[in-house]
Amino acid sequence: MKSKKTFVALLTAGVAVLALSACGGSTTAETSTSASASKGMSAAPAGEFGPGCAAVPTDPSNAGSFEAMAKVPVATAASGNPLLSTLVTAVKKANLVDTLNGAPAVTVFAPTNDAFAKIPKADLDKVLADNATLTKILTYHVVAGKIAPDQLAGVHKTLQGGDITVAGSGTDFTVDGNAKVVCGNVQTANATVYIIDSVLMPK
Amino acid sequence: MTSTRPGPAGTIPGGPALGRAAMRILNPGTTRSAAAGVLAAAAGSAAAELCAALLRPESSPLIGIGSTVIDATPTPAKEYAVRTFGAYDKPLLLIAMAAVLVLLAGGLGMVARRRPRSAQAAAAALGVLAAAAVVSRPAAAPLDAVPSLLAGAVAAVVLGLLTGPLGAPGPAAATVPADRRRFLLAAGAVAGSSLAVGGVAATIRVLTSGSAERAREAITLPPPVQPAGPRNTTPGFYTPVTDFYRVDTALTLPRVDVRQWRLRIHGMVDRPLTLDFEQLLARGLIERDITLNCVSNEVGGPYIGTTRWLGVPLAPLLRQAGVGPGADQVVARSADGMTLGTPVETVLDGRDAMLAVGMDGRPLPPEHGFPVRMLTPGVYGYAGSCKWITELELARFADFDPYWVRRGWARHAPVRTASRIDRPAPFAEVAAGTVAVAGVAWAQGRGIRAVELQVDDGPWQQVELLPGGGADTWVQWRYRWQAAPGGHRLRVRATDGTGRTQPERRATPFPDGATGWHTLAVTAT
Repeated sequence: MKSKKTFVALLTAGVAVLALSACGGSTTAETSTSASASKGMSAAPAGEFGPGCAAVPTDPSNAGSFEAMAKVPVATAASGNPLLSTLVTAVKKANLVDTLNGAPAVTVFAPTNDAFAKIPKADLDKVLADNATLTKILTYHVVAGKIAPDQLAGVHKTLQGGDITVAGSGTDFTVDGNAKVVCGNVQTANATVYIIDSVLMPK
Repeated sequence: MTSTRPGPAGTIPGGPALGRAAMRILNPGTTRSAAAGVLAAAAGSAAAELCAALLRPESSPLIGIGSTVIDATPTPAKEYAVRTFGAYDKPLLLIAMAAVLVLLAGGLGMVARRRPRSAQAAAAALGVLAAAAVVSRPAAAPLDAVPSLLAGAVAAVVLGLLTGPLGAPGPAAATVPADRRRFLLAAGAVAGSSLAVGGVAATIRVLTSGSAERAREAITLPPPVQPAGPRNTTPGFYTPVTDFYRVDTALTLPRVDVRQWRLRIHGMVDRPLTLDFEQLLARGLIERDITLNCVSNEVGGPYIGTTRWLGVPLAPLLRQAGVGPGADQVVARSADGMTLGTPVETVLDGRDAMLAVGMDGRPLPPEHGFPVRMLTPGVYGYAGSCKWITELELARFADFDPYWVRRGWARHAPVRTASRIDRPAPFAEVAAGTVAVAGVAWAQGRGIRAVELQVDDGPWQQVELLPGGGADTWVQWRYRWQAAPGGHRLRVRATDGTGRTQPERRATPFPDGATGWHTLAVTAT
């Protein structure tokens, strides 16, 4: 029995040596660990939520994937995502691409193409043609600062000036009563995005 | 490791039956053989780590195999690992590798009882496999195979000793104390010396990385033989070095020891050259204000900066080496295996292409390419400003595509004329009345002739260009805007020294730089 213990101790010592060599070896990899971790954190933030997230491409090389969106500013990120193409058209029409990309930290409530499709075509075309109204509507979807999911419920002042009200908790939120968050807490380089299923209208 | 430690003697978890079964498997001979295998692997690994620490940290078999595994892992699996384990993904990989090695080694040890020669050959073969992994790394040198081969050799020898003359259990090994004692002594000696050697290797690693950093701090760059003249005093003209943008692919920040650093100029040249850091500095430094920007910068984006650079002119070096006929591309290689390509004619056309050694009067910080980076004014960074440079190879564009070109980016990448509004901020609310609007414009090499600003759909207004910028730097501009209450749109456009105005058409950064007029929404109240 004693000898068995000794053998096991020797085995353990052998493993310890291997582990020690591994530690020695990882000294230079230390920066790599933290660098790739921080890269990983921004590339793959924990915690997008909602049924709509399933429609987001999973291949990181796809510009519409969470990983790709996290690396670029918000308007560029949205333009890579086919679910948001109507919003992107509206943002370009309103000349808000650079402003959204350049804003230091914002939260964007991003209506999907289906959300825009709920608006009668004639009305939508009229809005798209009217820069002032379009700008008001779009900036009503933007709040200064990045809002985390646990801070989401409540009243937020938009860049348009009016307030939006978010109700709900956990992973289930509604904005201004009828717009459901279908995919929330999507990270881009300068903004947190909540994708919603209806366009918000300033009151 | 706790899983390899049993409970009190004889109480192997799992009940008496399982205990007896385990006892049969773990009979002294088997245990001893497995232990011999693991110890042989430990001795080999420790020797390799010591060798790598003395030779080159990158030559470690563990790092080489680990990097190969990472490269071979499909992206979704990598993303899963990062999501699930976060910062622990790499230590976990190393632990998993050690576990696999322990299992393999234990197995080899057991094989060694019956077929010692085969087991030894297998251990040596593992060393060769590891060497192949290490040497296949992009920045590997042939000598990097040595630690892995040494690991295989040491493991084979130790395995032979422990399972052969020193360790082989006799037919009734469990009852022969002298035999057991001899094995224990030998095994203990191997374990102890492996621990000691591994410890020394780890210590050397820590000490040398620290001393490379101290070597950087000890450098005093000589004064330039061609100073740049008085500094620009306008706030914001120079980008603080700590805020200078960083875009590269290095997961591990290359830590180059300046005492070991060499630059090799080779390929299609008449006289290949090799320079060390002192020889490079002895050629004399020029000092220049240069704006450097990244091709992946969006319109209005942040990947641009200006600093006062110190460096050695590159053109005379290439002429000294003698550019061979037909060579049209300078391929720069970095310590981490990156390759960037620059047209030969660009380097030789009289611009201040240099091997930069300093930013703002100090040696380059590690993240900006210490000890030496290339800098080519007027060309986006990916096509002319290789960091951690170790090689310049003269080649043909037709024969070699560097890293980014292989990924679809343009071979030739002159900087596009561009301009940016820095004040007011995007979505800013400003007080109606006089508002200071300011920004920068750049067209390195061609210079900026004029910058214009448009408010809403009004006429384009010439803005004031501030003095102090040169053709290779950005130019700062400002404008006093009489803002009426309400929402406004500001747009800017620049005209370069050749009279060409930047195009309004929007282009993405891929494949050769973004275009479009930077446009901001602000509100005056």
